[in-house]
Amino acid sequence: MNISEIAELTAMNSASFRDEVHAALPGAPSVIEIDLSQTRFVDSSGLGALFALYRATAERNGVVLRLLNPRPEIQQLLELTQMQQLFEIVQR
Amino acid sequence: MKTVLICPAIRRMVPELAENGPLALAPILGEGIVSHWIEHLAALGARHVQVIAADRADEVRAVLGDGARWGVELTVTAASVEPTLAEAAARYRPAGETGWLPSPHDVVLMNHLPGCADLPLFESYAGWFAALLEWMPQAVTPLRMRVTEIRPGIWVGRRAHISTKAELIAPCWIGDQAFVEPGAVVGPDAIVEDRSVVEDEARVTQSWVGPDTFVGPLTSVASSLAWGNSLTNWCTDSSLRVPDPFLLCSLAPAPLAAKPVTRAAPASARAPEPGMNWLPTWPTANQPPQSSNPPT
Repeated sequence: MNISEIAELTAMNSASFRDEVHAALPGAPSVIEIDLSQTRFVDSSGLGALFALYRATAERNGVVLRLLNPRPEIQQLLELTQMQQLFEIVQR
Repeated sequence: MKTVLICPAIRRMVPELAENGPLALAPILGEGIVSHWIEHLAALGARHVQVIAADRADEVRAVLGDGARWGVELTVTAASVEPTLAEAAARYRPAGETGWLPSPHDVVLMNHLPGCADLPLFESYAGWFAALLEWMPQAVTPLRMRVTEIRPGIWVGRRAHISTKAELIAPCWIGDQAFVEPGAVVGPDAIVEDRSVVEDEARVTQSWVGPDTFVGPLTSVASSLAWGNSLTNWCTDSSLRVPDPFLLCSLAPAPLAAKPVTRAAPASARAPEPGMNWLPTWPTANQPPQSSNPPT
């Protein structure tokens, strides 16, 4: 499953983002990739949504959650919050 | 003896350092760059210092005053553009006049710290950070007694509060009135400037935390310059305005029209809680040392 074209993850859209991905999880393949290459802004609500996805996938054995191509400032935010330790972050 | 000191104006490679004031006042280990230079020049015998400032000269003038602090007569001259060394010499240092410090201290461009010409401050964020680390052992002088070296390579401000459950790893610098809370790790190669707060379980490594900055609990500031809500990675030059104040924010007094940050403001103002196990509060004139809590 690949999720892309996320312009931002904020209090305005994080709940719907989380719910949509959650809804797709039961039939999802073993690899879920979230493409952050177009994501310019993430706040704590967005980080919370990513963390909720991490927890949901952690409960499903063998499911890998990857963050693809985060912009440098998003990578900084992940490092500041130490969330880079939770995700496999890949630059392609 | 006279000298002319040229303040750096705009430096394209390090714009974040001029966000909160002119580069001449950018804080380095408790003092603006210009203060380090005036102290150095006064030690060389300067008694008249003319400071040329092309960026926010009024702010430079307000901070430096008349120079009495350093035992010099000081004037701040506003310039429309930053002069080169040659231009400043031609304009402000009459040829053949005696009574000037010998070259190169007669006309100085503050592109580096005193004695560190091989470490330019403003060509990159990495260069800025490297210069600060190099300067750390030299930053405590008889005129700057607010910070003490408590263990080899660990300098702590006399009014800093450091939890006994915090870990300081040399080399590191904790500025005056800074707080380092339980479980926090500062160092190696870390500088926390005056009045900043490193909250519970936060980590500051290979980084500089500017003055009046709140580093939130469980955060990790690594290979970065953090000042207010600005976070710049000095390896990649990537900069971020952290949107959530509980992660990183400024504790500097807000302008009257601005809304205060309610979460962070009490942290800088609070005293250690009763029953908490705190390192000194280093001895001050009004307060005896707390011998029951020796530095670890």
